[in-house]
Amino acid sequence: MSEYVIEMLNITKVFPGIKANDNITLQLKRGEVHALLGENGAGKSTLMSVLFGLYQAEEGVIKKDGEVVHINNPNDANALHIGMVHQHFKLVEIFSVLDNIILGAEPNKLGFLQKAEARKKVVALSEKYGLQVDPDAKIEDISVGMQQRVEILKMLYRDNEILIFDEPTAVLTPQEIDELMEIMRNFTKEGKSILFITHKLNEIMAVADRCTVLRKGKYIGTVDIKNTTKEELSRMMVGRDVQFEVEKKPQQPGDVVLDVQNVTVPSKLHSNNAVKDVSFQVRAGEIVCLAGIEGNGQTQFVYALTGLDKMSHGKITLLGHDISKMKIRDRSKLGMAHIPEDRHKHGLVLDFSLEQNLVLQRYWQPEFQKAGFIRSGEVRKYAEKLIAKNDIRSGQGPITTARSMSGGNQQKAIIAREIDKNPELLVAVQPTRGLDVGAIESVHKQLVAQRDAGKAVLLVSLELEEVMSVPDRILVMYEGEIVGEFNPKEVTVEELGLYMAGAKNMYRDVGAKAEEKEGNNA
Amino acid sequence: MSVLADIISATIVFAVPLLLVAMGGMFSERSGIINIALEGIMIMGALMGCLMLRWLNNAVAAGQMAAQLGVLIATLFAGVCGIAFSVLLAFASINLKADQTIGGTALNMLAPALAIVLTWVVQGQGQTTILIPDWSRITPATFGLKEGSKFFGSPVVPQDAVTLKVQNDFLQNLFFKQTYLTTLLAVLLFAAGVILLYKTKFGLRLMACGEHPQAAASVGINVFKMRWAGVLISGFLGGVGGLAFTLAAGSGFQSSVAGYGFLALAVMIFGNWKPWSILGASIFFALFKVIGAYASSIPFMPQFKGLEGVSTYLYPMLPYIITMILLILTSKKSRAPKAEGIPYDKGMR
Amino acid sequence: MKKGMISVLASVISILIGLLFGLLLLLAVNSSQAFPKFGEMLTAGVSEMPKLAKVLYQAAPLIMTGLAVAFAFKTGLFNIGASGQYTVGAFCALFCAIVLRMPWWACLIAAFIAGAIWGFFPGLFKALFNVNEVITSIMFNWIGMMAVNLLCMNLKQGGKLVMLPIAWVPSPIKDRTADLSYANAEAIIPRAGLDKLFNSNYMNISIFLAIVVALILWVVLNRTTFGYELKACGFNKNASTYAGINAKRNIVLSMMISGAMAGLGGGLYYLAGTASYNIQKVLLPMGFNGISVALLAMSNPIGCIFSALFISYIQVGGESLQPVFAKEMIDIIIAVIIYLSAFALLTKTILSKFIRTDKSNVNDESKAAPATAAEPPKAVPEEAAPTDGPAKSEEKEDEEK
Repeated sequence: MSEYVIEMLNITKVFPGIKANDNITLQLKRGEVHALLGENGAGKSTLMSVLFGLYQAEEGVIKKDGEVVHINNPNDANALHIGMVHQHFKLVEIFSVLDNIILGAEPNKLGFLQKAEARKKVVALSEKYGLQVDPDAKIEDISVGMQQRVEILKMLYRDNEILIFDEPTAVLTPQEIDELMEIMRNFTKEGKSILFITHKLNEIMAVADRCTVLRKGKYIGTVDIKNTTKEELSRMMVGRDVQFEVEKKPQQPGDVVLDVQNVTVPSKLHSNNAVKDVSFQVRAGEIVCLAGIEGNGQTQFVYALTGLDKMSHGKITLLGHDISKMKIRDRSKLGMAHIPEDRHKHGLVLDFSLEQNLVLQRYWQPEFQKAGFIRSGEVRKYAEKLIAKNDIRSGQGPITTARSMSGGNQQKAIIAREIDKNPELLVAVQPTRGLDVGAIESVHKQLVAQRDAGKAVLLVSLELEEVMSVPDRILVMYEGEIVGEFNPKEVTVEELGLYMAGAKNMYRDVGAKAEEKEGNNA
Repeated sequence: MSVLADIISATIVFAVPLLLVAMGGMFSERSGIINIALEGIMIMGALMGCLMLRWLNNAVAAGQMAAQLGVLIATLFAGVCGIAFSVLLAFASINLKADQTIGGTALNMLAPALAIVLTWVVQGQGQTTILIPDWSRITPATFGLKEGSKFFGSPVVPQDAVTLKVQNDFLQNLFFKQTYLTTLLAVLLFAAGVILLYKTKFGLRLMACGEHPQAAASVGINVFKMRWAGVLISGFLGGVGGLAFTLAAGSGFQSSVAGYGFLALAVMIFGNWKPWSILGASIFFALFKVIGAYASSIPFMPQFKGLEGVSTYLYPMLPYIITMILLILTSKKSRAPKAEGIPYDKGMR
Repeated sequence: MKKGMISVLASVISILIGLLFGLLLLLAVNSSQAFPKFGEMLTAGVSEMPKLAKVLYQAAPLIMTGLAVAFAFKTGLFNIGASGQYTVGAFCALFCAIVLRMPWWACLIAAFIAGAIWGFFPGLFKALFNVNEVITSIMFNWIGMMAVNLLCMNLKQGGKLVMLPIAWVPSPIKDRTADLSYANAEAIIPRAGLDKLFNSNYMNISIFLAIVVALILWVVLNRTTFGYELKACGFNKNASTYAGINAKRNIVLSMMISGAMAGLGGGLYYLAGTASYNIQKVLLPMGFNGISVALLAMSNPIGCIFSALFISYIQVGGESLQPVFAKEMIDIIIAVIIYLSAFALLTKTILSKFIRTDKSNVNDESKAAPATAAEPPKAVPEEAAPTDGPAKSEEKEDEEK
């Protein structure tokens, strides 16, 4: 029997215009946790999609236990006992947990569902691996961590032996991450093999046996975790020493620009509040970062701050004006700019041209319109100026349809548009999401430039590196509350993590609550 | 009493096409394809069903069980033709990823025109109405009951199918005034539809494709196939519903189903894409439709003396206005299949 | 410019295939008569001046209902209620003409306002309650038609049924409104001598009015901030909200303008003095034909002028098919054309590929191709492999809806 349970040899996958995987080899040993490391866009997900049968590679072979296999669709993968937990869960929200688990592999007699049988198996599996879930709960009613358990149970239900985890920790709290690591180790003890896609070095060091690194679609190497360091992995991943420091002048905070008092925002999903009694200030000439794990109320807070959503309680003051009930346009006129979290949902009208998108926040200004008519000449001039200044690359310049631009350039366009408004307050939500290292650096520089020009910046970020390096002040948000305030120079990542996970709270004792929570989880 | 029997039987007979067609729409939309072409599918089903009845007219003797076999054949034929017509929608919206609303609109325009042209071809120039044979209706004679024999204790009253004489017997009025085989079939099809959607692996997969096709694909479900199935089922039910409507309307087929396909869409939305709610909604609408039609013979309804067109235009507005109000009132709870209207692309995940 | 050419070409191809299909159908029904009748149909519109007058007369309201549908499309709404808005507009125009004895231009304004009101409700329900505008506007078609019929049959002034012919001349006719020529000749749209030129009473200035309105709408959509906002809402409601555009207000406004166009169309048709409003139980087809006009024009207001002229032209041609063939043959041809234009995107893609291979590298789009690896030319890494990027599965949906 071959030492390797799965081998992907010399895989090349080409999409129109780009080689997503260029001659990549990955060998998975039986019973190991094998990490697949790479930045956004390195080709990790594409490679795994090839293994899972969602894409077919142009070149290369896949071997299972030494035999060449052809995987043309997820069914083939399933037949080979390959299962995958996708980064964005593939769960039907209105279905019950049980229905989601059996979907595609339904026990049936003559096409009629036999759910009792399935239920027994699911209950047995969840007990065996400590993956407690209520089989009758609807997906839309359970937490993200629970949903991930459902995804794992889906694989176990299908008796999969090779388990792919695609960035499984991005949406989890540190405790949930620890639990997941434990579950992974249990799986390997059972002889299951795990492919673990991530770009988080700590997790690799904690759980993986070996690690394969990809960069820009190319294979960089495979290393034993025992014989390597974080720094080395990091170098392999980005191709040079990462500069975690962002150059900044000493801070010179001025007057209060943004004053948030007791803001509460109701949740759309459940009866609790998504944002609870949040208060803080941002001064001119400082960058304040709202840190936290995804889904802890940051999005809802930003919606309330920018006017996309209503708050139920509290007061927001911008430059001395009460903007709590102000329209979005009026907030914008008062000097607020907003780099939104989801560039396709909010940031761009994808079917508009680049120039139309660049004036999205200003088309109504006298510079660009006269008596209701758009001054297209001015729009063109302005767009060309921004494109040149910010190196926004596109096929046809100002008249390129935004949809046809790459994600990085779309983001550049949004950032250029918002910063060029010369706002008093810049709200930047995950501005570097999906950008490559060079672009990230440039965004960080622009944020710092705003600060140095005496403007206020509110940065919302999930990336710890960014949280530690860019802002002058860090506020940690957990379950809709601000649980701590820090100076990035005086705090460690570990300390921040404890707050982000809800294990610590500066303003009240959380020991009792945390224990109670763990009791619930067990 | 006999008015009540009339109202009940008329409500049922009008609820049947709404129920069938709305169920059809539900299967299509739950698989992820907006089926605005229901009106057109109904017309095609009604046309072909009526042509089949017309063709069978010489072949079967009136008043016998054989007549109902003829109706069954015509109904199935209507369903099959509905399927054939819905292929056009499925191909455009699933394989070619065309705009589903536009494709459906084209089919809605195509169907009545095609019906008129075909009616001409079959019946000769200018003959725009296909008459429905008398024997299609279920009467005491269908069960071999002769005039004077007993039906639940009262003598069977002779019925002239054309003039529908007013009778005083509640039960006979209820059962024999406007009952068609399609009513019975609708009950069976509804039950089958509920079981298919909720109790089979097919139903589970179909709903998954309408909610989250990428999730369905990731567990090896062929989204294209399921969506084709959804549209074709809607074609079958739409076709049968079209014939059921034409039988219910009673005056023959004139290349139109009077907007019932669209009303069925409203019923489906009001029924929140769920079979039992759709059943309730269709009975509700049919009731208002019938109340509108019978308003002049219902004592407590205002009669608007001195106004012209009350029974032709004023009361018939009722179901539309009520629909409107109910759609507004229930809009908060309304939850369409999440992925409906979005063409599924394998590359998009 | 190139994109425009390809769009036109795609429409022309759809039309040709539709006509071919019609010819085949004629052949199947009656092979001996098919070719002569098909030829007659194609040439009828220009065979004599009165026929051409009729083409232009019918094209005017068609342009308007086409604009109604197209304008709503641009804002992401499907106004299937043009028929009702057209009917209500027609009624108000006639009411102002016959009962209030207003001049033609005032009647047209009334039609415009009435249509806007009838479009307002579906828009309002969509904006406030998110009720599907397709369903609402269908309901309003029926409600409008029935209400208009009721009013025509019952409106009295001094004891006389004032909308009907009997108010003006002794007449037993009760199923249509009074003829404008004796009720109020002032309300007839001026013919400006065109009737003599075309030797037809159908001919008046309405076609020019319609063209002017189409041009105005084009300017509104493409040259004004209002149009910019409407299109932004149509393409991406979330992004337009983010940009401070009041999406709800725009939905209502867009449906009102759309309705106003259809209403004006009703005014143009019935104020020509050649047709009376018939009290009937079916919805007027003019509104639904507007959908064809808009789809064929790919929602471009200028395109609507041409597609309305085309549809009017073959409809006039269709009358010459009778009595051998049903004139509904024309509707089949139109339906086939619309069906084909439903996958216009596909046709366009094929066409642009075809053109590109033809002229190899002259195409400006191909300039984008040789980009660096880090900056892929198209959104491929995002669209094709978005699990690595930030693209969420919901976003597609938000835009399409």
